[in-house]
Amino acid sequence: MRSNGSVAEHRVLIPARAVAELTAAVGEENVLSRAEEMLVYECDGYLVERSIPDLVVFPTSTAQAAEIVRICNRHGLPFVPRGAGTSLAGGTLSIGGGVMVCLTRMKRILEVSLRDRYAIVETGLVNVFLTRSLGGTGFHYAPDPSSQGACTIGGNVATNSGGPHTLKYGVTVNHVRGTTLVMPDGNVVKTGGKVLDPPGYDLTGLVVGNEGTFGIVTEAVVNLTRDPEAGRTFLAVFDSVDAATETVSGIIAAGIVPAALEMLDNLMIQAVEEAFRFGFPTEAGAVLIIEIDGLEAGLEREARAVAEIVSARGGEIRRSIAWRTRKEPEYVAIWKSRKSAFGAIGRLSPTYCTQDGVVPRTKLPQILRHIVDVGRRHNLRIANVFHAGDGNIHPILLFDERNADEVERVMKASHEILDECIALGGSVTGEHGIGVEKMEFMPKLFSPADLAAMLAIRDAFNPQGRCNPLKMIPGGAGCLEKTGPRRAAPA
Amino acid sequence: MSTEWSWPASDAGGVLGDGRFAVATDRPRTPEELAEAVRARAAEGLAIYPQGGCTALDYGGVPSRPGVAMSTLGLDRVVDYPHADMTITVEAGMTLAALSAVLAGQGQRLPLDPPEPERATIGGILATQASGPRRFGLGRPRDLIIGVTFASSRGELIKGGGRVVKNVAGYDFPKLLTGSMGTLGVIVQATLKVRPIPETAALVWTPLADAGAVASALERLNVSLTRPVALELLSEPAAREIAGSIDLPIDRYVLVAGFEDNPDSIAWQLEQIRLELDPNDRAEIQGQDCEPLWRALADFQASRIGPFSIQANLCPHSVPGFLDQLDPARMSARAHAGDGIVHAHAIGDWSFEETAAAVSRLQQLAAAEEGYLIVTRCPTDWKSRISVWGLPRADWPLARKVKATLDPLHALNPGRFVDSIETTAGMQTQSASL
Repeated sequence: MRSNGSVAEHRVLIPARAVAELTAAVGEENVLSRAEEMLVYECDGYLVERSIPDLVVFPTSTAQAAEIVRICNRHGLPFVPRGAGTSLAGGTLSIGGGVMVCLTRMKRILEVSLRDRYAIVETGLVNVFLTRSLGGTGFHYAPDPSSQGACTIGGNVATNSGGPHTLKYGVTVNHVRGTTLVMPDGNVVKTGGKVLDPPGYDLTGLVVGNEGTFGIVTEAVVNLTRDPEAGRTFLAVFDSVDAATETVSGIIAAGIVPAALEMLDNLMIQAVEEAFRFGFPTEAGAVLIIEIDGLEAGLEREARAVAEIVSARGGEIRRSIAWRTRKEPEYVAIWKSRKSAFGAIGRLSPTYCTQDGVVPRTKLPQILRHIVDVGRRHNLRIANVFHAGDGNIHPILLFDERNADEVERVMKASHEILDECIALGGSVTGEHGIGVEKMEFMPKLFSPADLAAMLAIRDAFNPQGRCNPLKMIPGGAGCLEKTGPRRAAPA
Repeated sequence: MSTEWSWPASDAGGVLGDGRFAVATDRPRTPEELAEAVRARAAEGLAIYPQGGCTALDYGGVPSRPGVAMSTLGLDRVVDYPHADMTITVEAGMTLAALSAVLAGQGQRLPLDPPEPERATIGGILATQASGPRRFGLGRPRDLIIGVTFASSRGELIKGGGRVVKNVAGYDFPKLLTGSMGTLGVIVQATLKVRPIPETAALVWTPLADAGAVASALERLNVSLTRPVALELLSEPAAREIAGSIDLPIDRYVLVAGFEDNPDSIAWQLEQIRLELDPNDRAEIQGQDCEPLWRALADFQASRIGPFSIQANLCPHSVPGFLDQLDPARMSARAHAGDGIVHAHAIGDWSFEETAAAVSRLQQLAAAEEGYLIVTRCPTDWKSRISVWGLPRADWPLARKVKATLDPLHALNPGRFVDSIETTAGMQTQSASL
């Protein structure tokens, strides 16, 4: 890990001429150049590494974004796209400096068609604003990451974000029909569009999840999904994490596909309850938020089945919220508690870091036992709040960043947890992305041939390596290949 | 490349489609054997034509240089089926029917219903992004694939994704290979999401007199309180073919809404849709009786009635108007109306000139609304004169770059897709690039 708050060793010197051209392209009001103005852009939600960009520009149109890219190319400057900076993996870190292209001033909803079930949006739009704008229409945008109140659609497209409701409704890629991509050479290409499944290669599917290494996605055509007609959200309480994970398997084995299946362990329950006073039982070993949705007429039968499975594992349904819209106050309250869980951790610890491992959902008991064991061995407190239905864990390791020894132990513990996810047949990231944080795990997940193919694809889009350099896949072509600093370990 | 190969005059070595014959057919038994066969054949200067159940041999352009058929049928094993995880990893040569039998043992299914499941292999379904009526509610191959292994033309086995339902590590090769028509790699293995088999089903068959009535019914269904998993619109000849020997009411159009859920939900939805559509005439088919009709709806796409077939991808709202442009005496059409996907087959004799004019007119019609129209089947000698892949598109140069990246030897299915499409510089493209 670099020294605290360090600036990358290999600075790009941005010529005054380039600054002038960029300023002319977007207007003075859309440029930040003073260090103190740019401080907030030196990192994203991954707080371990910092690198301040040389310039932050805010395009207000696709044409401007393309012009910015062309100017960067003329001057040989690296550039990195950024949305709201909620990445937990350093995906928007401006390594080595260069130009940060911040999309947050491109946030218009350009077109909505309920009849054809799509919306065209600029990618700086905050996720929740899209669904909010659809209130009362009977449609919504399905991907709902916990950070949806802040994160942008563009960031979601870059990382193929998930959220609690992906179990039934799928992740971002399942809901994106098309993108407008400013290629790293400044050309603008549209992949897909309003119409589903253009014959030929699924370039949209490839672009989603590219972590900003293929160019800058400035517009997206996204699916609109019918609101569920009704739902039931249960708060089920268990003595142990094992009983809760067995319940998860039991529900799936019974042929029920819940809309969401979220787990909080005891430490997390305490933090959330202290913050939100929803009524979580602070003595419980674990709670599950179980949500089923569908047609009111068919829900009672499914609700009974869920209740039987919970009680067969010694659990108790403490709250049962029957809802017809997702606006009902109790429904809003329970999900606010869940989605703000990371924030609630602030009450337990000065600093925390969260991991994003995935295991097959039947391996949840093993990975959770492993996490307990890791915490014990490294003398760390680890809270768990995660998407149990998807097997996507989010262990939150609590530490004090002023304690160097503890930071070291957190890093080791994180590694051990992610290695175990791989050993159990899973992955090191379910929704946060590789970014800079998890690059060193890529060779553990993929063979040299797999990685070479991925690099070749990146080079096809981004041959100079100027767009978001040194991210996601170790190595590859590009001007910055050998000048990159050693990646810090995840923490 | 040491040898100049020529096209075989007989089918002794196998068939490639479009009247072309294979130099030989390789039938490897494992992914490693297949990758090695691909490498060796490409090194000999032969092209590689991947084949599964051969349900789509004539899809796309004409094979452009001599080569071998690379059969995946020997790769038919279940690699891993952790049913409680609702995923399965299978080799590409397994047929959908065989996979369905395995999944049914655990009360699960792959919720895809492309035509000809007894022949269609998982690899072929993925490579052609084949889907069926249930795609409206249950998704397409791209929504179900979470991991892929493919053989590159260099003979390497390359994987993307994984075996867990949520995973964003690395570029999404599973999506890229889905719909790539065997031109980027030979899919040898895939991990797929599966779903529980629903308790029961119902189909509501509603005859409608004209396109106006269809448009109005579809608008109501778009905001229906019910949740159909399929919305199929049939023109009269398609309705007759699909009804077959079942006695069902038929008019100029038939709208079929499909439902799958538990019995309480199905009973309520049937009642509700009666209120919402208020049709003069209708038929309801429930439970096991739905099966033959589901099957006929899916198999329609594979019909070979007249000399050619088309597929249009449109915005759903323009489907009724588009179908109204097709003369029911000369075209039989079925649409996945909720998704805007139309399949139509020519009926009777069509000359090349008539076909070219009709296809061109329909392609313009589709393009006017940012849609696409491809010719999925036609006589081989028409293919050089008809744009089987539709009007030129702004994303094809990028597609070509991707092709050149993953298959630099241009060994995989040459002639079928982007490498064979002529685009002249400055040619007007369908969706303009800025």
